[in-house]
Amino acid sequence: MNHHRVRAVAKRIVLGFRRDRRSLGLLFVAPVVVLSLVGAVWGSTTERVPTVVVATDRFNMPAPIVDRLVASTAIHGRRATYDEGVRLLREGAIDAVVSLEGTTLHLLIEGSDPLQSGSIGGAIQKALTDAVAGGNSLLGGPKIEIDQLYGGTDYSILDYLAPVLVAFFAFFFIFLLSAVSFLRERTTGTLERLMATPLRRGELVLGYLAGFSFFALLQAIVILLFTVFILKVHYRGNLATIFIVEAVLVVGAVSLGLLVSAAARNELQAVQFVPIVLLPQVFLSGLLIPVDQLPDYLRPVSAILPLTYANEALRSVMIKGYELADPLVLRDIGVLIAFGLVMAIGAVASIRREVA
Amino acid sequence: MVLPRELAVTTEIAVDAQGVRKRFGAVEALRGLDLRVRAGEIYGLLGPNGSGKTTFIRCVAGLLRPEAGTLTVLGKAPRAAVSAGSVGYMTQAPALYGELSVDENLRFFAALQSVPDVDKRIEDALRTVDLLDRQRSVVNTLSGGMRTRVSLAATLLHQPRLLLLDEPTVGVDPVLRQEFWAYFRRLASAGTTLLVSSHVMDEASRCDRLGLIRAGVVLAEGSATELISRAGTRDLESAFLALAAAG
Repeated sequence: MNHHRVRAVAKRIVLGFRRDRRSLGLLFVAPVVVLSLVGAVWGSTTERVPTVVVATDRFNMPAPIVDRLVASTAIHGRRATYDEGVRLLREGAIDAVVSLEGTTLHLLIEGSDPLQSGSIGGAIQKALTDAVAGGNSLLGGPKIEIDQLYGGTDYSILDYLAPVLVAFFAFFFIFLLSAVSFLRERTTGTLERLMATPLRRGELVLGYLAGFSFFALLQAIVILLFTVFILKVHYRGNLATIFIVEAVLVVGAVSLGLLVSAAARNELQAVQFVPIVLLPQVFLSGLLIPVDQLPDYLRPVSAILPLTYANEALRSVMIKGYELADPLVLRDIGVLIAFGLVMAIGAVASIRREVA
Repeated sequence: MVLPRELAVTTEIAVDAQGVRKRFGAVEALRGLDLRVRAGEIYGLLGPNGSGKTTFIRCVAGLLRPEAGTLTVLGKAPRAAVSAGSVGYMTQAPALYGELSVDENLRFFAALQSVPDVDKRIEDALRTVDLLDRQRSVVNTLSGGMRTRVSLAATLLHQPRLLLLDEPTVGVDPVLRQEFWAYFRRLASAGTTLLVSSHVMDEASRCDRLGLIRAGVVLAEGSATELISRAGTRDLESAFLALAAAG
């Protein structure tokens, strides 16, 4: 192994992207744009207060309780007859109709969006507790205050998503760029030329890893600065630990890119691998849906995806403030290193097949 | 009287191929190819498209492994000769990094060959191909002929003992082609061995020796005049056709 040759390959990659404005834009501008959107959509902690009609003709409760229910801050309360409420619900003007039959409280909701349905139920329950308890807090049972081990009351979905988006962007863009770059080496004949020099396949792959790691770490810096200082995402962990997780993830991403380029004949075909490689990781790596909420038969798939481990490690570090030495973080990094090694060996082997 | 060993005339062989076979799926590109390239000569590999010229050169460059036969390059296995930095390979299409400048390309290939005194070597190589004024140009902005010249320059940087040139003058104008061959001749005089593939008869006549190759075998080997007299024809082209018909 000759480190001069490895360095030459890495430098070649860095120099090449210097003049490639579109790729640089993809690396540095695209994540910032997407994060801004995510921030705008999920960055706010205020939940939407549902508009609820209390069906006065089917609500046999003392007037003060109904008054307090309608006035509760947990909902936008309105009074109407049951039929009027149903009509408003169909028109989409309100979110729920509340009625009482005997001792059973009925909530009629629109119901096409399960996520919204859940939050409406919670809000009405809270309003009802307020209404029944009234001025007398003893009547409503103990008052509940929630204290959080991690995060805080102003902690939003963006705080939960930001750590994994760092990993996702690194993996996605670096995978795509390394696949296309290496494909170009194959199609333009430079790979053939390289293989007719003393350069070894392992040195070539290492050079690629080094060159793209440079960009991945730069990208991570841009993303972290943007999320922490502009989007004000809460972050507790050690920056160095985040970079270590990022670096080992990128080894896998670059090597996977090199491997994929062996299976593609042109750039269009390389891009076709993006959904195959990326989409399972979006849904199964815990990025959007926590891994422990996945159906049992999908867990093994989740367990072989590198982003699963990167997400877990980055959330532990950024949200919970875990140290590098934490067994969970070390295990995740270990798995990522193993994944990177397997992919890198595969990448070296894929070069062997083509150039005997 | 026995001559001392040193005085015995030994012709060093740079490339020794015996019974070399290479198959790509159903196509047998090399079918027992035999040839010997002597050190310090310009050996022309002459044959039509698809005759196996490029396949053979790629075998010599250590890029393909023959299935049968023996192939030694500068006394070693091909890949060992390449690893030692003794071989320079100029591909048919100019394989360069388009987004890098001429200088960056040359520095990269120089680094892979651990070339000493890089600035001087790059200057010399660019002067040879008459592109000193384009050292800072980005390769994508160069014409096809200029790229071929940069590609040649990149092959010369490490001063290889064996130069493999796969159709080196395609897309090069006649004036520069003349200069290329003058330069090849100077390299050979200085001891470099050149293995040049071509299907242009005019170029073939400039080689010291020729191997006429068709369908993966060498039909005839010798200097241009030898081949013409053996075939009993007036020029090399008809000699080639006659020998091909006989073979």
